[in-house]
Amino acid sequence: MTGDAILRAEGITCRFGRFTALRDVSASFPRGALTAVIGPNGAGKSTFFNILSGSIPPTEGRVVYEGRDLARTPQHRYARLGIAKSFQITTVFPSLSVAECVRVACQALVSRYDIWRPRARLTALDDEAAALLDTVGLWDKRARPAGLLAHGEQRALEIAMALAARPRLLLLDEPTAGMSPEETRAMMQLILRLARERTVVLVEHKMKLVMGISDRVLVLHHGEVLAEGTPADIRGDATVRRVYLGQRDAA
Amino acid sequence: MAGLTPDLLAMQVFAGLALGAVYVLMALGMSLLFGMLTVVNFAHGAFYMLGAYGAVALLGYGGNFWVCLFFIPLAVGLVGMAVERVLIRPLYGRGIDYPLLLTFGLAYVIVELVRIGFGTEDLPFDTPAALTGAVNIGIGYFPLYRLFVIAVTGVVLVGLWLFLERTSYGLIIRAGARDPQIVRILGIDVGRVWLVVFGIGTGLAALAGLLAAPLQGASPDMGDSILAIAFVVTVVGGMGSLLGAVLAGLLVGVVVSLTSLVAPEAAQVAVFVLMAVVLLVRPQGFFGRAGLMS
Amino acid sequence: MDGAGSTVAVHAARPDLLAFATRHRATLAAVAVLVFPALLPFKAVAADVLVYGLFALGFNLVYGYLGLLSFGHAALFGGGAYACGIVFTRFGVPWWAAVGAGVAGGAVIAAVIGALAIRTRGIYFAMVTLALAQCVYYAAYEAEGWTGGENGLRGVDVSAITLGPWHVDFVNPLTRVYVIAAFVVVALFAVSRVLASPFGAAMEAVRENEARARACGFDVRATRWLAFVLSGAVCGLAGALHALTIGIVPVETLTYTTSGLVVMMTLLGGMGTYFGPFIGAAVFLLLENLVSLWTVHWQLVVGLAFIACVLFFPRGVWGTLLAGLRR
Repeated sequence: MTGDAILRAEGITCRFGRFTALRDVSASFPRGALTAVIGPNGAGKSTFFNILSGSIPPTEGRVVYEGRDLARTPQHRYARLGIAKSFQITTVFPSLSVAECVRVACQALVSRYDIWRPRARLTALDDEAAALLDTVGLWDKRARPAGLLAHGEQRALEIAMALAARPRLLLLDEPTAGMSPEETRAMMQLILRLARERTVVLVEHKMKLVMGISDRVLVLHHGEVLAEGTPADIRGDATVRRVYLGQRDAA
Repeated sequence: MAGLTPDLLAMQVFAGLALGAVYVLMALGMSLLFGMLTVVNFAHGAFYMLGAYGAVALLGYGGNFWVCLFFIPLAVGLVGMAVERVLIRPLYGRGIDYPLLLTFGLAYVIVELVRIGFGTEDLPFDTPAALTGAVNIGIGYFPLYRLFVIAVTGVVLVGLWLFLERTSYGLIIRAGARDPQIVRILGIDVGRVWLVVFGIGTGLAALAGLLAAPLQGASPDMGDSILAIAFVVTVVGGMGSLLGAVLAGLLVGVVVSLTSLVAPEAAQVAVFVLMAVVLLVRPQGFFGRAGLMS
Repeated sequence: MDGAGSTVAVHAARPDLLAFATRHRATLAAVAVLVFPALLPFKAVAADVLVYGLFALGFNLVYGYLGLLSFGHAALFGGGAYACGIVFTRFGVPWWAAVGAGVAGGAVIAAVIGALAIRTRGIYFAMVTLALAQCVYYAAYEAEGWTGGENGLRGVDVSAITLGPWHVDFVNPLTRVYVIAAFVVVALFAVSRVLASPFGAAMEAVRENEARARACGFDVRATRWLAFVLSGAVCGLAGALHALTIGIVPVETLTYTTSGLVVMMTLLGGMGTYFGPFIGAAVFLLLENLVSLWTVHWQLVVGLAFIACVLFFPRGVWGTLLAGLRR
């Protein structure tokens, strides 16, 4: 592997009381690649994602981004460092319009505490928001309240809001959860497109889904790294096959 | 300051426990309502006041203190159940603010009704004859009635504990306090459980008011200050935690009692300083879970 | 809790008229504020409506636009009133500087209470703000030398106002109302400006979804704190004007019933709407005045009205009206 990793997890252990969700997990995420984190239910994928994205602190170990230890970085600093994420549960601003959601997300980079200038004057944000809505295919729905969008559209909107931070690293937690097959296909297309310009870490339950699009795959099982490599390596790995055997998604 | 002997301090701590016992009863009910129904009862102080006035009324009709002790919490608990059924129930699922706002308005109504019925003046409330005087508790003489308040609270705590631990209703309530979703999923008729919980919570508030009446008399706005203290106790103990309510209630009682010994004018403020410190160090309270805060 | 009908939300029907009203909301509100005192038969009520309307406007910044239910706003209102009264009576500063002190006083108390309370969320926030406000109440009650304690702070008497070449008779009820109205109009424009600012958008983002707002890069706590302080400044102004209107700061200003009053007015008018809180204050005070004409137990009627409002009109008078117009 090349030495240039944008994000590294070093010896991550996470315990909740007596339950150990992750045990000494180390992994590095190469710059510019799409890395998928997969594993069966209860493998610790979500915990791993939450630690990578700074939502919960690890019990031991550290997360290093661009050579910087993120341990003492508050959540809201992540966006300006170039890290954006989507949650497993969709988070949009339901009573704002689609355009306003993206616009306010764009605004977060440039103006947070200005209580006096009219925000309408920040016209650059309108163009930026329009471009992002175009990217995720929501331009036609821009005037609708975000809360009234279909589930798949809300997820796309969430990704547009994440992109507003102009991230170098995009963290996605099961972006296709609860989606119809068509929505899933569209989302995968979108992720593939986004991955051309930035590093993407994708946590996914369905193995089949990520094999075709990932550059690298990390398999978690019982809170430990089971295997790591290219999709071809993983497909040929006997242990991975055994773990996924009997699981519907591996078929 | 020369008079601050260990014995005096010990007495003051003991007096604080008696005060704390009243807070515990208030906070227990409040914590129960919040933990189970996610209702923050702003009328809790009004129910407390109803306990005292219920006793005033019953005594006026020739009842005695012991009859009051049994019937008043029961009667106020029934009022509470009626309130839950008629006013609170339509608000479940409509956000946590609405029951809070409704009970706030309800407190206005209850207090005003009592003013109409009993006047706005403070009413004296005699300590029952059998409980006057003081007894030697080893470190000095302590008012018998205050000992009685501690004892009643202890009995209620044991009873509540047995009810929660040993009955099927109690099991449901405990499960519900931990995760209301689970109870709903199990298909238990939560409506009836909620009704009972509301009755217990308001009944406990009435008992607290009744026990406090001989110490401070009865007045229509007696619930105002205790409501704020009950909030402090539930916040310090951890919302929804019954053990937290007990320990924090006693702690707040002792803090008030000790501060009033050295700096009487700071006694009320001390309570809120205590809360501020707890919030800074441990925002979820002694036994609260962080998740409950949202 | 979401504010019903955010002012910037896009709505399909009747965009022209509503959009116009939204764009010029501060001007329209100012006109309403300047016209209605002339229509009211009781000028004393008009002054109260202005003061409490302003108080509710400031409260709504936190409740309607940020989604935080505070039960401690009495401390901000009363704090402003005391700050104004104390510098006026104890230090003899001119009345307009005393009003400035009221604004600062409200903001400072909000900064302290806010710093503690924003560590908590949801229902905790209501309880913690209430408890901290009680703390301010007891402090004012005990600090008799400064606040007059139980008797209240007396002697906040302004009889005449000199503004350059003009002399205004502050004792005349109508002039008094219009002096207050002038301050209210300034506050209306300022609040409207804040709501339309980038920070106003940040407040909405935090209200709508905390986790997403944080992921976008907004510091949720700092946003809440600043909004709380701004709310404190507005409520402090309201308190200062209140002190000037009645010439005394009663210690009851700081009791939690005052906090409850402003919640009630805001809810009655329509939380999260720009002008709703004013309407709520007006409806409430007029109702109180009418009811107290035939019974001393007006609190009973008010309590029942409040319960009915929670049960049947959670959007409030103004909120329901706006929702109807949008349909």
